[in-house]
Amino acid sequence: MTICQFFLQGRCRFGDRCWNEHPRGGGGRPHSGPVRGAGGGWGAASQRYANVIQPPIFKHSTWGGSGDGGGFSGASDFGSPGNKSAVFSQNRFSALSSAHPADGFSDEEQRLLDCVAKDMATWESSGQWMFSCYSPEAGKPNVSGFREFSAEEVRLEYYNCSANNNTENYINSVNQLVQEWRNRLQELKALNASGKESLLSQLKNAVTQPLPSLGFGGQQASSFGFPSFPVSSSSSAASFSFKANPSVPPGNAAAVGSSAAASNPPTFGVTSSPSVPNPVGSGNSSAPSAASFSFKTSGTTSGCGTSGLSGFGSSAAANSSSTAPLPVSATPSAATGTSQSGASSASAAQTAGASGHNVTSAPSAVPNGIASDKLYTPRSELTAEELEQFEAKRFTLGKIPLKPPPIDLLYL
Amino acid sequence: MREKQLRTRRPQSAVPTPAAGAPAPPPPLCSRRLRREARPAPCAALRRAVSREVSSAVRTRMSLFGSTSGFGTGGTSMFGSTTADNHNPMKDIEVTSPPDDSISCLAFSPPTLPGNFLIAGSWANDVRCWEVQDNGQTIPKAQQMHTGPVLDGCWSDDGSKVFTASCDKTAKMWDLNSNQAIQIAQHDAPVKTIHWIKAPNYSCVMTGSWDKTLKFWDTRSPTPMMTLQLPERCYCADVVHPMAAVATAERGLIVYQLENQPSEFRRIESPLKHQHRCVAIFKDKVNKPTGFALGSIEGRVAIHYINPPNPAKDNFTFKCHRSNGTNTSAPQDIYAVNGIAFHPVHGTLATVGSDGRFSFWDKDARTKLKTSEQLDQPISACCFNHNGNIFAYASSYDWSKGHEFYNPQKKNYIFLRNAAEELKPRNKK
Repeated sequence: MTICQFFLQGRCRFGDRCWNEHPRGGGGRPHSGPVRGAGGGWGAASQRYANVIQPPIFKHSTWGGSGDGGGFSGASDFGSPGNKSAVFSQNRFSALSSAHPADGFSDEEQRLLDCVAKDMATWESSGQWMFSCYSPEAGKPNVSGFREFSAEEVRLEYYNCSANNNTENYINSVNQLVQEWRNRLQELKALNASGKESLLSQLKNAVTQPLPSLGFGGQQASSFGFPSFPVSSSSSAASFSFKANPSVPPGNAAAVGSSAAASNPPTFGVTSSPSVPNPVGSGNSSAPSAASFSFKTSGTTSGCGTSGLSGFGSSAAANSSSTAPLPVSATPSAATGTSQSGASSASAAQTAGASGHNVTSAPSAVPNGIASDKLYTPRSELTAEELEQFEAKRFTLGKIPLKPPPIDLLYL
Repeated sequence: MREKQLRTRRPQSAVPTPAAGAPAPPPPLCSRRLRREARPAPCAALRRAVSREVSSAVRTRMSLFGSTSGFGTGGTSMFGSTTADNHNPMKDIEVTSPPDDSISCLAFSPPTLPGNFLIAGSWANDVRCWEVQDNGQTIPKAQQMHTGPVLDGCWSDDGSKVFTASCDKTAKMWDLNSNQAIQIAQHDAPVKTIHWIKAPNYSCVMTGSWDKTLKFWDTRSPTPMMTLQLPERCYCADVVHPMAAVATAERGLIVYQLENQPSEFRRIESPLKHQHRCVAIFKDKVNKPTGFALGSIEGRVAIHYINPPNPAKDNFTFKCHRSNGTNTSAPQDIYAVNGIAFHPVHGTLATVGSDGRFSFWDKDARTKLKTSEQLDQPISACCFNHNGNIFAYASSYDWSKGHEFYNPQKKNYIFLRNAAEELKPRNKK
């Protein structure tokens, strides 16, 4: 077929109905053009085409100079682009898709990332309250790394501090928190590629588990990070666990999973250094430990949070050691870590003793109880390939398992 | 959920407005404009409005309370109008003897009590009660102390008791007749919200606390009737029987149904992007609670219906308490929404923010009815009285800018405004 000249100029009025050929390769990335003698002509054509997308600056000179007729005549030259355009519908806007970033984010993801960047800029410039959680869109879970305090909590801190003449402590802590916030905000404003990946996986993974994300924001919540606070036994001390910076510093932005949950479950032991080596691993371990919590009544969650904080000091070592080997196993596929880390963090919590008791009994009970039902297949029944499919981020077409997934891989 | 820029009905030139917005057609009722221009002094207006109520028993009500624990000056003198500062640009009635520190909550007495009584809890650890008379005079009546700042307060349905929640992790019941207060609740962390629930088969006090629990107390017993776990610290709550809405940290949002016994009805994904700050339930035309308004720290309010016919269209959010109207080039200043209150009769709502303004909105017509002038302090709390004639708002620092901007010497105010006219809903065009 003959190439439609108007299409190349971007003004074919027939569009898909056009009897002539609308070569798609012309608008594709330059390297996707046929590698041939006509390559030069193609290169010029694609450039021209790209020009057309903007309000047309149509230069006759370039058109003429590229050896027009030679480039476009002869259907045989266009065998492959012809095929290409047969495969893809004749799409005038293919040049636009070439504007698609090479890092391969879909439109939706790009939108979210842009939204995050814009919101960060607004947040910074607007003077609004800093200690707030954030999510780029209404239904999405919270982005990690932002600590949430209400104005009243901060104010109460101040009042308690000034009652003990400790205002410097307060000021320092607040400054520290502000610094953390600022760092995290800058990070999100200018995300690099890995940051984007982790952010997107955070938002996506946890989309399927909105409830747990609500449930777990809170582990770290009450810890305000006032180092020398235990001295003041006044009311707030019990609720505000003033240990040294319990939450993962926002530098660990890549922590996956629901908002603050990402930081705390692996770092129950407040005293341990919070930075978990492999962000992916830590993120995954947080999700399943979140999952393990979801089985029990959240009564014990609050128990964990408030009461036995000192008890967790002992579990810190256990926990962090349990999370350490995880990243190794987690690297093959993102979700692999889930069930294993769930079990190990459960066991780690068990060693802690304090409120770990309730925590572990539930998750251990549940898999036994439910796993044998028809709703879920126990792991033993799955082939290796099926297991791999379940554990992968996405199903590969043609390999989607027919059996239901094992319960321990689910976020409930 | 769609983001709505509410149409602002743009008012008279005398009022400098920050919102540019599209030029709105002149208000259809010229009578409204006349009323605005020839606005009488608030006292007179309030007098007219309030006098509609049955108020003959007000004088005898003075014996309702026991000996008034005086505030000191007591007295009904209004402060001389200080024209230099901007503490009362709306020229509303000031309540006498306001608390010495920031006001955290305001509540008017229920209709079962003749007359209007206002309670206010403050960060000075006290809760004060005034009688608001028809002529606009406010008479301090009594006060009670906690050992920590008071965060919330509410009335019982018969108007004889006031419940207060405080940072000292307790909640108290204040019997106004005897002027005695006893502790009725205990939490592990400061109690942030307190509401009285009156169901056909039970009545109790609901307290929400930063210890992530929601507890229900029979005032006679030291242990709670029921404890419900929250996903996170409770930040705000509202109760309109048989519905209760609780908003927590980390954008948590739960609705409870209170018939028979309180149980969780639904967890809702937050329609907002930032921290929740205040919530208020609204009712439909047949007086059943049907949804709630949720305010965040980011100058945005979400209107959410529980069972809307068309969720995508019916639920919406709107921006408020921001500095530059629709001018998108300059970065806006964004302020937190500190309180939302619905007019009990008209169903329109009022929001108060950290920017020191209050605004009235009609959520059905999706328009703004009015925005006030800017006060020199943030407005930290607001409420309507039971028939919607009086709108009370408190001007005091809400810690939105941290401790640097906290001035303990600065006076805090509570203002009363005649709300009968300004909150009439807009007729849908």
